Amino acid sequence: MGIEFHHVAKRFENGSVALSDVSLTISEGSLTFVTGHSGAGKTTFLNLLLRLEKPTGGRILVNGVDIATLRRRHLPAYRRHLGMVFQEGQLLEERTVFGNVAVPLQVVGMTARDAGRRVRAALESVGLLPKAELWPAQLSAGERQRLVIARAVVNRPKILLADEPTGNLDPALSKAVMGLFHRFQGVGVTVIVASHDTALVGTMGSRVVELDHGRVVGDTEGGTVDG
Amino acid sequence: MASKRVWPVAKRPRGAYWRDHGRVFRSTLSHLSRRFATTLWVWVMIGIALALPAALYLLESNLVRVAGQWRENPGFSVYFAPGVSMDEPRALVGRLAAMVEIDGVWLTTPEDALAEFREFTGVGEALGLLDDNPLPASVRATVTADVSLARLSTLAEETAAASGVEEVVVERSWLERLAAIRGVVGRLSWSLAGILGLGAILISSAAVRLAIEARLEEVKVLTLVGAGRGYVRRPFLYLGAAYGLGGAVIAAMSISALLILLEEPLVRLFGSYGRDLELTGFDPMFHLLLLASGAVLGTLGAVVASNQRLRRQDAVV
Repeated sequence: MGIEFHHVAKRFENGSVALSDVSLTISEGSLTFVTGHSGAGKTTFLNLLLRLEKPTGGRILVNGVDIATLRRRHLPAYRRHLGMVFQEGQLLEERTVFGNVAVPLQVVGMTARDAGRRVRAALESVGLLPKAELWPAQLSAGERQRLVIARAVVNRPKILLADEPTGNLDPALSKAVMGLFHRFQGVGVTVIVASHDTALVGTMGSRVVELDHGRVVGDTEGGTVDG
Repeated sequence: MASKRVWPVAKRPRGAYWRDHGRVFRSTLSHLSRRFATTLWVWVMIGIALALPAALYLLESNLVRVAGQWRENPGFSVYFAPGVSMDEPRALVGRLAAMVEIDGVWLTTPEDALAEFREFTGVGEALGLLDDNPLPASVRATVTADVSLARLSTLAEETAAASGVEEVVVERSWLERLAAIRGVVGRLSWSLAGILGLGAILISSAAVRLAIEARLEEVKVLTLVGAGRGYVRRPFLYLGAAYGLGGAVIAAMSISALLILLEEPLVRLFGSYGRDLELTGFDPMFHLLLLASGAVLGTLGAVVASNQRLRRQDAVV
């Protein structure tokens, strides 16, 4: 599922500019890192793709659809094609590990048997299957982040978005999590990761888009960030 | 650059809608049992709000029944002037008996009246000291059930014009009072139903709002993974309906207990007037109506809470 940004701008009501004249194309099945310092516009970039925000200028096409023009009733169907990994996880503490991963499948109305198969496969892919019956509070920071990734991919999204997925992790765990994104890209998922960790991103050998004050200031393939 | 404006909607698996309702039903029961003390508190408050207008409604419907049971009584008594020949009362009895609106006619001669007076007052011997019987002849007539109070008055006025008649007493005052009481109780019942129904909605709304606050994180996650407006709100609507339904059960139990407490002394009271009394209130239709009202009011409260608290999420959705 390809993504196109055409002169996209986002200005908030208080006058601050989050994105300005951003134009880029992200091809289907690619892994793209969006980097930049805090406030560069990375989260806004992802929020626009999730349609949590609407651009104030330009157009964003996902699979040929201008997502800013989608009606409210079409948004759930659109979001079911996306997987989202947040920095803070947003896990449901009163549900087990299994229950957390099952949420997107319940939303689409899958039967318990089919959902169970999918959930086990997703937990297996992030190495959490033995902990399926535990509560999120019983997991380490790295396990919690892998749990969020399992929930994001369980519905087999076409696009996976991650906002600072390694923010709370040590270097070894960060590398492992990034490795997971590589694996999902390998099966055809379009992965976009926002991260301020340029050192880690540089080692991944993928496309890196650098933002600064809402503008694209670098766009490189292969992990060498230029200015 | 051409772009599509509609995102293709994938068909949901067969039975998904009902599966979701089943899941929400189970999770609602689980929510209620996990927070039973809070649930009971909400049920009691809604129960009180529903019980009062429902009890007044029952009182009104029982008054209607009482009025129906005593409907044979309305009529009038005609008192002739003392010393009037018995021909005139007998003629009046004949005329009244021929009218279709008259249900029954009884003639009481002065002798009969004196005998009754002696029997019921115990001072009849004193009357023996008088030269003449001072009691007049009288005629009592009752009207059929379909005669209105206005027609009853007209009949009495026409009868008063008959020869020898001194006074006509219409026995309608109690019926008028009963109608007035019914009017007051009826209006009070509907007014209280309006006010306390609003109260029930607000109680349910406040309780559901608390539940929404406690699950805002879940709502946010659901929204982001593609849950629609109905899916996000359904658990809260079920919760509101459960609060209302539980409140209605409490109200029905309270009213039943009240009726059981009152039935025996009321039956005894009516028995002392020679009347049978059968209280209504235990019929299934009344309970069904009460439960349905509770569920609807509870759901309305949940709709109010959802609209208020989830509006921001709606913007996201």
